Order: sequence, then structure tokens, then C-alpha cells
Amino acid sequence: MKKLFTTLLLFAGIITYAQQTIRGNVVDEDGVALIGATVQVVGTTNGTITDLDGNFSLEVSADAEAIQISYTGYETQEVSLIGAESYDIVLSSASELLDEVIVIGYGSTSKRNLTDNVAKLSSKDIDKVPISNFQSTMSGKAAGVRVTQVNGKVDAGIVVRVRGAASISAGSEPLYVLDGVPLINQNESNNGAPMNPLLSLSPTEIESIDILKDASSAAIYGARGANGVVLITTKRGKIGKAKMSLNMSTGMSTPTNLVEWLNAEQYVELLTEAAENGRAFGGWPDEGFVEGRFDRYSNNTDWQNGVIDTDWNDVAFRTGRQSNVDFSVSGGDEKTIYYLGGAYNDTEGIILGNDLDRFSARTNLRHNFNSRFTAGLNLGYSKTTIDRVANDNAFVTPLQAIAQAPISPARLEDGTPFAGTVYPNFLLEQDFASYITQLRRLTGKGYAEYTILPSLKFNSDFGYDMSYQTEDQFRGSRTPFQSTNGFAYNSNAIQESYVFTNYLSFDKDVAPLHNVNFTLGTEFTQADRSFASVSGTQFPSDDFQTIASAAEITAGNGTETAYNFLSYFARAQYVFDGKYFIKGSIRRDGSSRFGSNRRFGTFPAGSVGWIISQEDFLNNNNTLSFLKLRASYGQLGNSEIGNFPSRFLFQGVSYNQRPGIQPTQPGNNDLTWETSTQLDIGLEFGLFRDRISGEVDYYTKNTEGLLFSVPLPGSSGATSINRNIGILENRGIELLLNTDNINSGGFSWTSSFNMANNVNEILALPNDDADIIFSQNINRVGQPVSAHYLPEYAGVDPENGDALYYINSEEGDPEATTNDIGEANRIVAGNPFPEWTAGLTNTFAYKGVTLSFTFMGEWGASIYNAGGRFQSANGDWFDNQTLDQLDRWQQPGDETMVPQARLGWGNGTGHSTRWLEEADFIRLRNLTLSYDLPSSLMQRVGMNSTQFYLSGINLLTFTDYPGYDPESRADSGNLTTGQAFYSAPAARTISFGVNINF
Amino acid sequence: MNNLKYIFYFTLALLVMSACEKRLELEPAQSISGELATESEANIQNILIGTYSEAGEDDTYGGQLQMMADLLGGGAYIDWVGTFLDPRQVINKAMLSDNNFVGNFWNNSYAAINQANLVLDNLGVVTSDVSEKDRIEGEARFLRALLYFDLIRHFGSGDLGVPLRTTGISDYSIDLGIERAMTSAIYDLIIDDLESAVDLLPEENSFFADKYSAEALLARVHLQLGNFSAAGMAANNVIENSGHVLTPTFAGAFNNDENSTEDVFAFQVTSQDGANDLNNHYADEGNGGRGGDIIVTDAYAALFDEGDERGSFFYASGQSGDRLTSKYIYQFGNIPLIRLAEMYLIRAEASLETGNDVGALPIEDINTIRRRSGAAEVSGEVTKEMILMERVKELGYEGFFIHDVVRTGGSVDGFNADAPELTMPIPQSEMDTNNKIQQNPGY
Repeated sequence: MKKLFTTLLLFAGIITYAQQTIRGNVVDEDGVALIGATVQVVGTTNGTITDLDGNFSLEVSADAEAIQISYTGYETQEVSLIGAESYDIVLSSASELLDEVIVIGYGSTSKRNLTDNVAKLSSKDIDKVPISNFQSTMSGKAAGVRVTQVNGKVDAGIVVRVRGAASISAGSEPLYVLDGVPLINQNESNNGAPMNPLLSLSPTEIESIDILKDASSAAIYGARGANGVVLITTKRGKIGKAKMSLNMSTGMSTPTNLVEWLNAEQYVELLTEAAENGRAFGGWPDEGFVEGRFDRYSNNTDWQNGVIDTDWNDVAFRTGRQSNVDFSVSGGDEKTIYYLGGAYNDTEGIILGNDLDRFSARTNLRHNFNSRFTAGLNLGYSKTTIDRVANDNAFVTPLQAIAQAPISPARLEDGTPFAGTVYPNFLLEQDFASYITQLRRLTGKGYAEYTILPSLKFNSDFGYDMSYQTEDQFRGSRTPFQSTNGFAYNSNAIQESYVFTNYLSFDKDVAPLHNVNFTLGTEFTQADRSFASVSGTQFPSDDFQTIASAAEITAGNGTETAYNFLSYFARAQYVFDGKYFIKGSIRRDGSSRFGSNRRFGTFPAGSVGWIISQEDFLNNNNTLSFLKLRASYGQLGNSEIGNFPSRFLFQGVSYNQRPGIQPTQPGNNDLTWETSTQLDIGLEFGLFRDRISGEVDYYTKNTEGLLFSVPLPGSSGATSINRNIGILENRGIELLLNTDNINSGGFSWTSSFNMANNVNEILALPNDDADIIFSQNINRVGQPVSAHYLPEYAGVDPENGDALYYINSEEGDPEATTNDIGEANRIVAGNPFPEWTAGLTNTFAYKGVTLSFTFMGEWGASIYNAGGRFQSANGDWFDNQTLDQLDRWQQPGDETMVPQARLGWGNGTGHSTRWLEEADFIRLRNLTLSYDLPSSLMQRVGMNSTQFYLSGINLLTFTDYPGYDPESRADSGNLTTGQAFYSAPAARTISFGVNINF
Repeated sequence: MNNLKYIFYFTLALLVMSACEKRLELEPAQSISGELATESEANIQNILIGTYSEAGEDDTYGGQLQMMADLLGGGAYIDWVGTFLDPRQVINKAMLSDNNFVGNFWNNSYAAINQANLVLDNLGVVTSDVSEKDRIEGEARFLRALLYFDLIRHFGSGDLGVPLRTTGISDYSIDLGIERAMTSAIYDLIIDDLESAVDLLPEENSFFADKYSAEALLARVHLQLGNFSAAGMAANNVIENSGHVLTPTFAGAFNNDENSTEDVFAFQVTSQDGANDLNNHYADEGNGGRGGDIIVTDAYAALFDEGDERGSFFYASGQSGDRLTSKYIYQFGNIPLIRLAEMYLIRAEASLETGNDVGALPIEDINTIRRRSGAAEVSGEVTKEMILMERVKELGYEGFFIHDVVRTGGSVDGFNADAPELTMPIPQSEMDTNNKIQQNPGY
């Protein structure tokens, strides 16, 4: 034994001639042990990590002067070795996020050194929110980032606008980049309603989201950065013992709001009156017509006495259900870190027949081969299966059922759907048809990092993203409009993109006080899409539901398309004395998407920053603890203009199965990206030792060369052409305020408030600023994009019950009205986008109990209910009417806004501001109440922590909006911006869960 | 030294990337460029077929055009009970300028006219055979005349015609504003096109327009203009020489996969291409429609004598129980645009008006039509009213109602033939984009 010890000692002596052992314990400010904190001798690679109790012991050489203790989220601390045997070390949490790592694209920096506007969300903002898409978790949390789910379907598209819509016709969605790989975000839905392609990503995989909002930050993404860039970083392991985490939750959903409709008695009363009035007005309908209809719609029951009184809301909606399970193992040592995670989500939507389930898994590995060479692989894959319902503009979508006649039964006594409704009963589709979308997604990145010099690194990344979506539809012989013994449709859409990135990064204090860092690289991106579909009819019976059994193949499609980008980029920053910053970046992008005359574009940006609080005159100021001024300016591109938008093209058509060709698109060789020039001036501040901190920003964002699908006179043979014409400006202010309100006696209360104002204004348009009018919207100079453009409804003529409209002629009496809507001039009647948005998050914590909730609100938007002329049309036809229509004009002298009911005569049914509504709202977006079991108890049973939580989304809504939901919009492509059309309200979900860490 | 090596590699990588630049040249896989499309004879022929396809879309001859003509002019014979508001505006004679059906008809018709013009502009590349070149020219002129004829009838108001374009547009960067031409200029083009087409087209041309399609349409145009002599001669020529014969039964003339013997011209529909919107709005769900948006009124059903097959060519909707016409009970049936039966009725009317009995006596032509449907033959003096009534019975719901009202100076639902409500408004989208266009009176 003694011999062995001597040998060991000798062996150790070979490495270091004199050793000593130091011990210590690392805790946080509350005295809780920090597990896995890194302890390292300063200036060496000698180090260890703390154990389960926060203890460490480390052999150090006699000449070691200090050790450094670091732990994510805490201030790194250096402790001088004073010869003691044991050191008690208390780490304080990182001060007000200033040293938080900010991911900026091809690198990262600290918040302190940042001269750009970047909003950061961390996993704690994201997990526990009971919703299946990660984008919605960003809502209300970042200033100037507006996140809206189109409507309450589980698969509904997501609209994200960073500092307003920067485009009119081109894409306005930000670029999503996952661990350095630009994500495919193209809607592949074939049922007419957009689907969120990023549903495939489980929110539980995400460690942080950094949103690049200004030009200086996003310019490194050049032609793809104009709409902002959302950088998603997935979870990775940390050095230390393996951590296992299990999270389970289950919840229930209901619609946030339901609109009230006429009951059977009210319906019969209104329609009977409408028929009498119609007859008196224009001699139609004949006597008995309405009664005959009632007999039919009520399945020949006693409608006079309201035997059947169906509330179709109850038929279309249901109580949804949501379950989540996710499990992860992570850990590592100095050589290798790993994260392995899997998640399962099962969501039953609030709309009958709308379900989602998703499996996903992720492996992130990183290995240091030696002190210079590191390589790794991030790989995530998932499969999402969605039962979908038809788009909002289809009779067979559940939401259209809400305006079925209340005298109609939903189902007959034997359970089969009633087929005699006013328009097709969606239950026929629900029972006898299916539409299943399956989305498989594989996103991975292999990377290598070589340290050439301590200050110079070379990175080579190869990223791959694949989205493979199939859609399988079957409509049996009993579905509405079905005359071909069944119909089946199958589609396959495969999108792939690979991105090969190589870059050098340099970061060095070149002289005392002078730090220089730069990044220089190239990137090649190639993306392909291949699509195939087949449709068939004539099935032996409804039991055969796949194309194989279709006796007749009626349609097939096979297309391929591609685009690519070749890019060079550079970024350099110079920091003097840790307080003066200057940064510049440039990216040169070429793409197959741009016209032959304009293939390459260069996108420069620059920014400066000054940490004023580090100047002598403020250095010891107790009130103003931090003050930074920054400004950035640059140009970005928007290349989301389609793949071949510049070409004059003909495509194949078929006529009686003979091939032919037709022009599909007029060409324009000068077509190119949109250029957005952005200015941002920001002030960051901290008060009272950063207990209050915040940012104020002012920005302008001018998009020039707007891509326009410029409407052409139909008499020319084409209805639109793509042109780069027009200027659009977004300008606004953003305020972010974080406060540490109370932190004493174990009780803490923190708040985070953000507010943004965005003014969206068109500055120039094609054809000498001529108005561009499409359906009920207009693009007009001086107005916001896609403003509502409608005749102005003036109410009802008290004499005769006619709907009246303001004539609004330029000369003439501004109060003059007409009952002829054709005579009324349209006016710009509202903004489809909000002008103000705000979010407020409060977090209270006391002894393991944490309550956190986020309110968010929007002001200034209007929604046009395009379904109003059917459902709130004073009994113009047999669609059920909203309850407010009972207030119709009945006799001379009646003062009301609802015209006389006249069946079939269109009294007040023209598109007008009658159905334009303000959509201001404040909503309790989410609330989480959690309880952590005491850690002493947990350690006794061998666990790290156990947390129970209750979490909800959309729990409360304060609004005057009379429709279903102020956030819901129509999802059907032919309905334009800012319109609702039988659109489902958002879901209100409450979920209970437990999170266990081993 | 080592560092230099890495810098060398990095530079090399940059060079490799530069080689990627040529990969930025991508060609679309599903489309060809406009230049290529007009360079070859094969492609000119392809554009011609594309023109049929365009004109046959549901916005125009796929059915919405015929439907609107009947809703406008059907009076007591027709009723719209569907949920769509746009056709209801049409039947109410209260069309708004943003009516989608009206706007789509306009846009679609001009798109097809432009394609026909592109064919005519590039006939120079058709060099294989003179007769081939003539055929292509003849078909393109036939289609152009057909489209202008329906545009002028629905949008023309007095002397105010519709925009006249006789050359194809492929460069859309120019100012595309255009004034409305004189009505007479439109009709001059129509007649010139059709007379040329009669000369250019072969006697047989599969399901595409042939010599007799052009002549039959010419008969219809002359009838509309009141040129009875020319109308009668053209109709007679079709009856005598085209080889078309009435189908043995009335039902045989409808719901056909392939043209019937009496189809002088029909738009083609299959399960894979073409559109039949008449089926969509006239048929019940079991027959592929929406349940029966347009119903056959009691007044129409009461017109027929006992035994007249046309008087029972109806069925009850499986959804609503309403009476529907049986003319459109096959979702993939061709859309007959000119039936031989119409030629007999044109010839009869023309003979009556001119007093020159071409080919047959009016009474014989009427009885030819009636005999086929099992209706009792009529005798005695033929009157204009009799012929017009026979047209209602024979051609009802095929897009003739409004045109017969207008050309005979009749009235419908209290609106006189010249009432502005019977003319369609120039679509709002055209008003918003074409700075030279003028709206119709009353809108």
C-alpha cells in the first residue's frame, strides 16, 4: 500500500513537481448548491466540476495563484488562493443579463458588447406554454415582434412580423435559422388554408431564440434578412453529471369566445317577416315559399313550435385536449458534451375533426478531439400527423356550420348527419371524409471548428434540412357534392436544402484596451422542391380509400423547382477600452431568383456603441448604473419573391386531353430583391444597480423596390405583373423595461414590460402613385399597406328600412347618403395591422412557488368580417343570423343600424363598413403557476428537483370586438388581408404538468 | 507557416465557392420562356389549344356566362335559390361593379382573346403546310369572334363597345390603358373574323371549330343584329351541308362525353380537364352539382304540351326537392355551345322576317324541332311569337334568354330591353387599372 502510494506520488511528481489539494463548496446567493459549476486554475487547463452537493476538490500546483469558478447564468468569479484548505464560494447571478450570450449569426457576443437590436427569449419563456407550435410562445415577449396564429385550428399558419410588414407582395415572414441552418418555411398545404411548416419543431427542444430586428444584426443574412431573422438555438449538454429531465403535462382547451346566434323561434320569426317584406318590396317570394323551406330544413318537423333548436356552435366546437411528454438526458465532460431528447405532443383541437400529434427527437453532440479541433453533430427529426378540416371558404369546414338554420337537426335519430341543411352539413364531411397531413422533418448540422491560433478559429458547417409532407384525402360517396363514387387525393412534397458554410473568426486584444474581432466567410445554399400528386375517382365502395382502388385516375401532377444562393460575408468589430464599439458587416448574395440583369446584390451595415456609464463621470453613480447609446444603419434584402418571378413563362395545359400551352406570367428581366434600408437608434440603461433596466429604440425601415404584383387591366389579357416599384416605410419606437420590484425575505417580484409602436406607410407606388385596389383592400400612398377600402355604411333610412351609405363624393355634402351602394364612393376605412402592441410579464416567487403571467395587447387594427353579408345580413337568405340582427327596422320611425329584412333582395348586403370592426384587445396570453418541492426533500429521494405546474394560454380577453376573436383571420387564400370569414377563435387551454429532474 | 497554410486553404475554399456562380443559372422545369413559346409551329398549335382551354374555363364558356345570360333574361322561367350573392345580384338586375362573376368573365375572355391574338400574330412560323396555317388561323379567328360577341352583347351600351385588341400583348411594361371601341367596330371584327374562318377552316376538324362552327356562329351574330337574310343563309348552309343531324331524342343532345351529332360546336369537358359550371349550379349533389342553385319554375314547366319530352326533362333535387333541368346532370359532360336545333330556329325566324323561305318553310323547321321531342306538330300561320316561344322551350337554360329579350325589344321583370340594368357593369378591377375606360350608364 505504501509502495503504491509512493509510486503514485512519484508519477504525479513527473507532471508537476509540487502539488496541493484545495477543496471548496459553490453555492448561489440563496445558499443552494450549484451542481456542475466549472472550477479551473487560472491560466491553465487544470479544472474540475462541482458534485451534487456543490463540493469540489482540485489538485493544484504550488505556484497556482487563483481559481476561476463559472456557471451558466452566473457571474464568473476569480478567487485568489490564499493557502486555505477550503473555500466557500458564493456565485451571484449574472447582473441584469448584461453578460448574457446573444447569438448573432456565425457567432455570438455578449449583451454588453452588442451594438444591434436583438431580442432574446430563453427556454423558460418557451417551455410550459401549452401550445404545440413554438412561434406562439414568442407572443407578447419581445418588443416589436408580433406573432399571430391565423386562427384556432391546430395546424393554422403563423404570421410573424418583425417591426411591421416590410413588404406588400413578397414574403414578410422572418428568416428562421436553427443552429445555423436556414429553415425551410414554405407552406405545403393543398387544402386552401396555409399550414405552419414549423409545427414540426417541438418547443421543448429550444434553448433560446434570438430575434435580429435591426439592419446591423440582420445584415449578415443579406438578401434574406429584411424581415428580421429568428435564430433558434437548441439545447445542448453541460459539463457535469448526466441530467435527466422528464416533463409531463395534460390540459383542456375551449374556444376563447363564441358568437350568439338566433334560436329556432327567433329564426322563424325573422325569416317569415323577411319573406313578407320581400313580397311587398319586389313580388318575391311567393306565398308558402318560406314555409316550404322551413319544412325541408327542419326535416319536416314542427318548426312552428321549435321542436328542433340546434346550437351549431355546440356541433362545430368541442372541448379540446392536449398532452405533452418530453424526456431528455444531457451532460458531458471536458471532452464530450451531449444532449438527447425526445418529445411527444398530442393535441385535440377545439374544432371537431382537427387533431395533431407529433413525435420528435434530437441529438446534439460535441467532442473536443484535442485542444485545437472540435467537431459535432446536431440532428433533429420529427413526424407530425394532422387531421385537418377544410379551409374557411368551404361549406364543409366546421366553422361554416355556425350559420346553419337552428331548426335543422345536426344528425338524424339514427346518428347519420342530416343532409337537408341550408348548405351542406359539414358532418357529412366529418363522418365520411378524411384529410390527413403528415409532415416529416429532418434538420441536422455537422460542424467542425479548428483553432488556428487562440484568437483565430476556422469553422466549417454543413447543414441539411428536409421537409417531406404527404397529404391523403378521401371523400366517400356520401360527402357533399360527391357524384363520382368517392374521391381520393394523394400528394407528396419534398423540400430539401443544404447549406455549406465556411468562416474564419478572429477575436483578440491586439493591444491593451484595443479589442478586434472579425468574421469572414462564404456560404452556398441549394434548395430543391419536388412535388407529385394524383387524384382518383370511382371506388368500389367507401371501404376502399386509397388511390389503388380508384377506377379512374382524374388528375396527376409532378413538378420540380429549385433556387440557390451564393454568398460572401464579413463582419468586423473594434472595441476600445470596453466602452467604445464600432462594427461593420457586409454580405454579397447572388441568387437564381433574381432577374438575369440583377443577379448579385451587396448588403452593408454598420453600427456604433458607447457605454457611457463606464466613463469616469458616471463610473460610481449609484442611480445610473448602466447607460449605453447605440446606433445602426444598413441595407437588407428580401428575396422571398418566388423562384422564377422574373420570367415570361408559358406552361402546359390540357384540353380534352390534348396538350396545349398558356402564358402564366408576364416577364420582367429587371426583377430583383427588395431593398430595405434601416436605421436604429437605441439607448440601454440600468438604474439602481440595474434593478431597473431597459431599452428604448427608435427605428425607420424603408423598403424600396417593393415587389408588386401590379394589377393590370384585365382587358390586356393578364391581370398582374411582378415589378419592383414602390416604397414602404415602417417607423416606430420600442420600449423594453425590466424591473426587479421586490427581492427580500425569500419573496421576489420581477416585471418585464415591452411596448412598440409601428407606423406603416406607403410612400410611393407604381404608375405615378396610382392606387392599387384588390377586393376590399387598397394600397394608397400615405396609408398603411392593404388598408381596408369600403363604401361607408350610414345605417338605415328610418322611413323605409333601406340600408344607407355615405356618398362621400369629393365635393358634395359629406353627410349625403344613398341607398344605392354603387353610388357610394369607397373610403380608406381602417388599418388591417395594429399600430401599438404591448406585453407585460410579471413573475412572483416565494419559497418554491412561482407565479408568472403575461398580458399582451394590440391596438389600431380593424377586421373586416367578409362573412357578415351572409350571417349578419338582416335575414337576406336562410343562413342563420347573429343575434344582433333581431334589431332590424320594422316600421317607419325605427332608428336602428340593421336594415329591413327582405328575403333575397340584398338590402344592405354589399361589401361595406357595416362589417368592419375594431380589433383592439388585451389578453392574458399565458399564466404559469409552479411549485418546486423543497430541494432537501428531493435530494433525500435522489432527485434534483420536482416541479408541479399549472399553465394556461389565452385565459382572459378584454375586447369590444363583436366577432369570434380579435386575433383570428381568414385562412383561405382568396380572402385578403385583415378579413375574417367563418374563422375559428383561438383556443383557451389550461394544462397541468410535472417536471422532474434526476 | 502553419497559419499561412490555413489561409491558403481558406482562399482555396473561396475559389471553389466562386465556381458555384454558374449554378445560379437555373431554368424552370414546368414552364418555357415566352420567346420559345412563339418560335415554333408546334408551339403555336399548342397556344391555340391553350386558347380553347382558357375560353372553356368556368368563368366563361365553362358555364358562368350562359348562366348569367339566363339569370338576367329568364324572368318568370328561372329562379336562383343558391347562397352565392353574385348570381343573385344578376337575377335581381342589381349587379355591382365588384361582382366576381362579371369580373371573372371579363378577365377570362380577354385572356383568351390575347392568346388567340398571339396565335394570329405568329402565323409566320407555321410553314409546314398552307392548309395547316389556314386551319390555325381560322380556329383562332373563330374563338376571338366568339369571345368578342359575348363581351359586346353583355358590356356594350349603345355605341359604346368594349376595348378592341387585335394584336397579342407579350410586353406588359407598356401603358395598357385602352378606350372602349365603337360597338360597330367590334361587330365589324366579329363578322370579318367569322367570314374569314368560314373560308379558312376545313369541313371536318374533330371537336375543334370547323367551317360550319364558324358559319353557325355567323348565323347567330346576324340574327342578333337583325340581318335576317344573312342569318338565314348561314343557318341554311349549316343545316344542308354540315352533315350534322338532330339527335334521335332530346335527351341525346345533352350530357355527352363526346360531341353528339347535333353539336355544331361544343366545349370539351372530361374528368381530367375542362370545366362544367352549369352542372355545378344546375344539378343536385348526386349529379355532381351543389344541390340545385338554379331552379326550373312552375311557369317554365307549364309551357309544354303533353307528350313533349322537353316538358318533362326535369328532376327533383335530391337535396331540396326543387325542380331542376336535366340538361346538366353529367359533371364531365361537354358543354354544347351551338346545337343544330338552334340553326333550324334561326332559319325559321329569318325566313319569316324576310319572306324568303330558304331551305324550308318556317312551319317545317319548327315541326322538325317539335317532332324530335314528341311534341304535337303545329299547323297554320307561323308567328314571330311562336318561334320565340319555341326557342324558349328548346334552348332554355343554354344562355339565350337575355339575348332574345334584347334583340326583340322585349322586357323582363319590368325592365325594358334597353334598361341599363340589363347591361353588365365594367368590372371595378378594370375601372381601377385602366385610366381610359368608361363605365356603363347606371353604374
